[in-house]
Amino acid sequence: MKKKAVYIFADSLKEMKTIIPAFFIATLIGATLEFYLPEEITFAVLGKTPFLSIPLATIIGIILPIPRYATYPIAFSLFQKGAGIGAIFALISGEVILGAPDRDILEFKYFGWKAFVLRLILCTALVTAGGFVAEVLL
Amino acid sequence: MIIEILYLTLERFLGFLPILMVAIVVGKVFRLYISEDKIGILLKGERRSIMGASLLGLVTPGPLASYLPLLKVLQISGLPLSVVATFITSQTLVGPLRAFLEVNMFGLTFFIFRVAASFIIAISIGTCFHFLDKFVKPKIPLSGRRAHRK
Repeated sequence: MKKKAVYIFADSLKEMKTIIPAFFIATLIGATLEFYLPEEITFAVLGKTPFLSIPLATIIGIILPIPRYATYPIAFSLFQKGAGIGAIFALISGEVILGAPDRDILEFKYFGWKAFVLRLILCTALVTAGGFVAEVLL
Repeated sequence: MIIEILYLTLERFLGFLPILMVAIVVGKVFRLYISEDKIGILLKGERRSIMGASLLGLVTPGPLASYLPLLKVLQISGLPLSVVATFITSQTLVGPLRAFLEVNMFGLTFFIFRVAASFIIAISIGTCFHFLDKFVKPKIPLSGRRAHRK
């Protein structure tokens, strides 16, 4: 039991060393966006028209080159600024479609380019659809 | 302005930090008890079940990269690619760690919706892979086929 606790503690510290700095930088970016990004623009692009905002948020999530969990402070700031909940869903879910090089390369290598591309296309389409459902239901 | 930005950053960061730390520790606890071997055993049992693979993926902590070699071995041994694709999708979309951050920032309703949506998305992708299996299935290398026959 003690060994497990020590292992968990040590491994958690190791992960915190990577995640916490990235999370801080993402929070800084989010705070900067809150100050400099006008509410009207955020609302117009990510809140007013779901047919524009949700696909856009999915694509932004996919191409955003930031570590996992670092999307959350940015998404939170955009949400505070008027982004729709559907766009936030699309942004957070889109972020995991691509972006972890170790995972993507292994998936490509082990299962082939066809499976990789098919999963990428289906994920993008279904996450976008999920964003629309979130906008209606939430 | 810069001081205000830094103040807001610190305020938010210190507000989120305890949640993030708890999320990381809980993730490690999950990882300790949900090892790759256990996932392999459970997935073998779910040979034909996309639904089971989707549920399993939802509760499996990351990173996914550590499970991929195992998934490849299982796939060569006969696990359908649809089950693999389902597990990969649900595992990446949701994870135990995200629960803490999402509930804290966007509320429990949002998190529950995202879990439900991820479950459905993963099953949908698995179903598509099931029907398109012939076109997307990777060719098993000769060495893999020989090992499988043994």
